[in-house]
Amino acid sequence: MNDLTLDRVYKKYKLRPKGNLQKRWYKAFATRPTEMWALQDVSFEVKRGEALGIVGHNGAGKTTILKLLSTITAPSRGQITIRGRLAALIEVGSGFHPELTGRENVYLHGAMLGMRRSEIARKMDSIIDFSGVEKYIDQPVKRYSSGMYVRLGFSVAAHLEPDIVLLDEVLAVGDVAFQAKCVDRIAALRKDGGTIVFVSHDLASIYRLCDRAILLDRGRVLMDGAPRAVVDMYQNMTFGDQETTAESQLDCGKIAACLSVVFSAPDPSEAVRTGYPMVARLRYRAAATIPNAIFRISVYWPSGYLCAQLTNESSGCNLTLEAGRGEVTFECPVLPIQPGLYRVDLAVESEGKEFDSRQRCATLCVEAGKSAMGDFYIENMCRLRTYSS
Amino acid sequence: MRSEDAPIAMRGVAPQAADLLSNDPGGRSESSSRRIRIIGPPAFSAGAVFSGLRALIQYSDLLYVLSLFRLNIRYKQSILGWAWAALQPLALMAIYTFVFAHVTKVNTDGTPYSVFVFAGLLPWIFFSSSITNAVHGMVAYPSLLTKMYFPREIIPLSYLAAGVADFLISSVILAGMLAYYRIAPTWNLFYGIPILVILGAFAAAIALFFAAVHVRFRDVGLALPFVLQVWMFATPVVYSLQAVPARFRRLYLFDPVAVAIDSFRGAVLYGRAPDARMLAVAAGEMIVGLTLAYAYFKSSEATMADVI
Repeated sequence: MNDLTLDRVYKKYKLRPKGNLQKRWYKAFATRPTEMWALQDVSFEVKRGEALGIVGHNGAGKTTILKLLSTITAPSRGQITIRGRLAALIEVGSGFHPELTGRENVYLHGAMLGMRRSEIARKMDSIIDFSGVEKYIDQPVKRYSSGMYVRLGFSVAAHLEPDIVLLDEVLAVGDVAFQAKCVDRIAALRKDGGTIVFVSHDLASIYRLCDRAILLDRGRVLMDGAPRAVVDMYQNMTFGDQETTAESQLDCGKIAACLSVVFSAPDPSEAVRTGYPMVARLRYRAAATIPNAIFRISVYWPSGYLCAQLTNESSGCNLTLEAGRGEVTFECPVLPIQPGLYRVDLAVESEGKEFDSRQRCATLCVEAGKSAMGDFYIENMCRLRTYSS
Repeated sequence: MRSEDAPIAMRGVAPQAADLLSNDPGGRSESSSRRIRIIGPPAFSAGAVFSGLRALIQYSDLLYVLSLFRLNIRYKQSILGWAWAALQPLALMAIYTFVFAHVTKVNTDGTPYSVFVFAGLLPWIFFSSSITNAVHGMVAYPSLLTKMYFPREIIPLSYLAAGVADFLISSVILAGMLAYYRIAPTWNLFYGIPILVILGAFAAAIALFFAAVHVRFRDVGLALPFVLQVWMFATPVVYSLQAVPARFRRLYLFDPVAVAIDSFRGAVLYGRAPDARMLAVAAGEMIVGLTLAYAYFKSSEATMADVI
């Protein structure tokens, strides 16, 4: 049973020519309006209870899909079928009226989402409680902070008891405690068999939350499959481009540059696993001989904090680079970090001079291995000794 | 479980939401009772009108809540508050009374001019300010159109509902004036209700059409003040229809607003039953106008978020 079906959907936007409408009025006879196809021949379906992630560069058509699914705008061609009550958690709270109080806005926003007054009245206490703004609920929302605004908006939407949820990076709102509540709410929804469509740039959360993913590129579906494969493909696309830019930058006088990095088990065909050996292969290019080169591979948590760094600086390994291309290999006997998707920065420097520093240019995908709770796996030996009484 | 051919049968019919089955208002619905929506390219069609009306009924609570809050918001942070609803017609009454009773004389069949003009101004102000508010209100909060979905006609209709409330408030003053001038109402007063329904529905038609165009072309909002100004003087508000030369009077009968306002004043002040034929023509124009305006609004609604 499919909850969502997109059947050969096209969406066209007319681009306004430069200048205002009056200029266009007499220009209209001479020139035709420029058309932009935001979506072309997009077909996919989402099964009941499935969590679908949508990834793609800016302008690939992700937002257009969300707008179509939430009925804000209609397709130019094709047909969309939606079975069930749909809640779009896109910029929650944007339907609020600043002059009305929080309570009044709950009624207004709830009604806009398609709830009945009786239903809202029944859930009012729970909504206020979830939002955590009960102290200010009878104040006009123009006096609210932006966090309170979003919390109240999310709280109303979360009480819609939808069959289908559209998510657009809304998880990035509110403080940590509220984010945890949101994640719990979504997890509960999934457990109840709710269907989720999740649009994000955060590949780690796509990987964590979704059963399936779609890669969009310039308005077309490029790939539809397991999140792992789609995320990999997306990265190849991204870093394929980046390697070319790195090469071209080199021609503009960079002395050394990091080209790419690949993580794997010692056997290159095997995946990286927690608690097992890992090898990182960094390809570089140098324009001259560089003594005492220092490479850094910085691994970041999805939250953006630095998790760990691989560098030859601390291991005392002295590298002298010749002009040309090469590869540096870092071998780790035990990988202590937990399963997940990490973002990676690359840098190369020598004697305090940085030649190249590339942010968020790769990812490290760690599969489950000798997993334990907590932030890290700690390699340990376990012995038993009994005391005789 | 629904048969698979149901959506196909709907193809090409529904521009927005075709709700085949209403949703269970309590928690998550079983698959058999789930609401199915089919979204296709916008269309100007009868099907759009019907599916639009069905969605509107589903969102009737939003119309209620929004209309209530409109009234609430309008007089927030103002000292005179609700008195403003009556102040505008009173001020206009004063100036027109000065001009048309003291500077130059208008024939009112013996009724004091102030109550004569007030009985015309009330329905006119209801008509014109509902349209003005609806058209400007449509674009007042663009984020409503670009970030949320609900049947868009609820925005102009909620201003219309607020206009009805203002009308009721100033009706109290009209009743006071009738008592002061000892004009006894007759049973024909109740003709006022169908007359006002026709006027209100015609205002809805104009408001829906202008609001939909205004989203695309702001020219509508700029032209509206003087269009309404001209319309007011082309309507027997400050003068009586009887005073119009017979050869022009026939033109007035094509304007539902002129018919409604003249009949309203006749019923309230003179205890006259309205001319049934005139009223029937006005009602016919209203029904055709409202249907066309609604169909246009629904076909234009689907892409409002893209062009606002």
